[in-house]
Amino acid sequence: MTTPMLEIRNLHARIEEREILKGVNLVVPRGEVHAIMGRNGSGKSTLSYVLAGKEDYEVTEGEVLLDGVNILDMDPAERASAGLFLAFQYPIEIPGVATMTFLKAALNAQRKARGEGELSTPDFMRAVKESGKALSIDSDMLKRALNVGFSGGEKKRAEILQMALLKPKMCVLDETDSGLDIDALKVVSEGVNALRDADRAMLVITHYQRLLDHIVPDVVHVFSSGRIVESGDKSLALELEAKGYAGFDEQAA
Amino acid sequence: MNVPVRLGPAELSLIAQLTGAGASGEAERLAAAGLPTRKVESYHYTDLKTLLRAVPELAGKAEGVSPPALRVAGAYQLMIANGVPQESGTAPAGVIVGTVEGSVLSTRDDVLVRLNSALVKTALRIDLDGSVDPVIQIDRRTEGPAAHAPSAAKIYVGDNASAVILETYSGSDAAHVTNHATYLALGKNAVVTHITVDLSARQATHFATNEYVLAEGAQLRTLVIHAGANVSRTHLFPKFAGKGAHADVTGLNLVSDGQHADITMDANHAVPHTSSKPLFKSIARGRSKAVVQGRLVVARDAQKTDAKLMAQGLMLSDEAEILCKPELEIYADDVVCGHGSTCGQLDEDSLFYLMSRGIPKTEAETLLVRGFLAELIDPIEDAALNEALTAVVDGWLAGK
Repeated sequence: MTTPMLEIRNLHARIEEREILKGVNLVVPRGEVHAIMGRNGSGKSTLSYVLAGKEDYEVTEGEVLLDGVNILDMDPAERASAGLFLAFQYPIEIPGVATMTFLKAALNAQRKARGEGELSTPDFMRAVKESGKALSIDSDMLKRALNVGFSGGEKKRAEILQMALLKPKMCVLDETDSGLDIDALKVVSEGVNALRDADRAMLVITHYQRLLDHIVPDVVHVFSSGRIVESGDKSLALELEAKGYAGFDEQAA
Repeated sequence: MNVPVRLGPAELSLIAQLTGAGASGEAERLAAAGLPTRKVESYHYTDLKTLLRAVPELAGKAEGVSPPALRVAGAYQLMIANGVPQESGTAPAGVIVGTVEGSVLSTRDDVLVRLNSALVKTALRIDLDGSVDPVIQIDRRTEGPAAHAPSAAKIYVGDNASAVILETYSGSDAAHVTNHATYLALGKNAVVTHITVDLSARQATHFATNEYVLAEGAQLRTLVIHAGANVSRTHLFPKFAGKGAHADVTGLNLVSDGQHADITMDANHAVPHTSSKPLFKSIARGRSKAVVQGRLVVARDAQKTDAKLMAQGLMLSDEAEILCKPELEIYADDVVCGHGSTCGQLDEDSLFYLMSRGIPKTEAETLLVRGFLAELIDPIEDAALNEALTAVVDGWLAGK
């Protein structure tokens, strides 16, 4: 059996004294797209932050293997260079740092960490232009400070642009549909779908079924009270939409 | 009431130097008042009596010069070495270089202004006219063993003229005490950028006073950078003397362990319809102190003044101290004036975001710091100058 792209074993994490993840187990094989659905406050976003290595959270138990390698001792930058990418629910605005400057710094940092040479400026520009075109990102947007004054849609498109450029093995998309109108949702979903690949896996976190009409998952997991309580195929999402989360809470208890 | 001031070695040296220069009145005044302490409002955070332990001998002739602290491709170089204006190369079109005797600053009740005016014998004089192409660089050096070096420059920019003036301060690695003065007058509708960068030796103490007078429609951008001396203070006196005059008065304190830097501004909106946008930033690391004092004075007749003062600080260590004191003194009743101040550490969420894209921590911090400074450096349009200033900032960031 091939190594899964992401394997989470009995993951417990807390912020200050409050335990939020209470024994998450999850396997995402390469090439697959899994969705995690859960109501607000169930710990879905915490899972994405813990995977990416945000300092505020303390992992008290468990393991996270990315392509067979335990990443819990790595800092966020090392995890990114190892192939993990988190598309933020609320991308951070960074005044004074041009989007282009940031993209180049990120791409070259990852190449350097993997022992690859830096991209030449023309090659870099070409790569950005190509990826940007499909997402309707023009050069004006790239000249602006990172995410500063971007609309909700622009921010999410910029996240997918980063994902396309950095070519991660494992993409975690945290509520990528939030703040998007239906047209923007299409553009973003198409961007994500274009990155589906046999050597890449994705974990799509959402609490609405509608995103999954556009990014169709192989497996749907239901998240409740800090762990996965049910897994199934995409019909599970429809069932959830019809029944609500209440029916699953009992199983968690 | 009349408790005699106890004079320290610094004051005694200065009194002797003033007496030697024939300024006995100033010597007596200093003997009576001593150097300003925190009780003098304008020196509240930069107590000269404590910070200035000793003042070396007045500088002699400069023997040999250290390499330039900052090179800007294509700049026209002028030098003041140990307080004395040096011979310069052929001036570019629109530039007349000469000297002027005596003080350049307006009379003020300020000890550094008084000392400069009493001790400088010959000041550099520059007249600029038309659209001056190259950056004019005034390279002020203090060379040789530790010296007290007062120096001065008087610059006139003609009506409708435009120029970019860069002043750099550097010299040998010794405990110099420098006291520099610049008087810069802008004619009607003149457009001037004036940048002063302290790159003095770490043992040095750097003082500078920059006085600006803006005629009708004049547009000024200033940028003070403190990135060298152990103790540095630049006192800015912009005066808005003609309708439509505007100044972006900006400054940057970069302080590391053991350093103290102070930018103090007294802006004088003297006539109606003038505007200013002072913006000062400080970055402090280690056990260090950065000070920003900004005072906006709006005269009774200066209606429609539009002035916004902002001070921002970034603390990179727990021991760093950043002190910001804005003051508004408004005598007119139809003005838009305001001030703001923020101080903090690098934002954790921003750092996490950058790192989550693979950018290592140190590099991510540098990006954020550069982002913090972009507002000050980005408006410098001359590419070579912008690059040189970026290098100063990067050099400081890379240092410990």
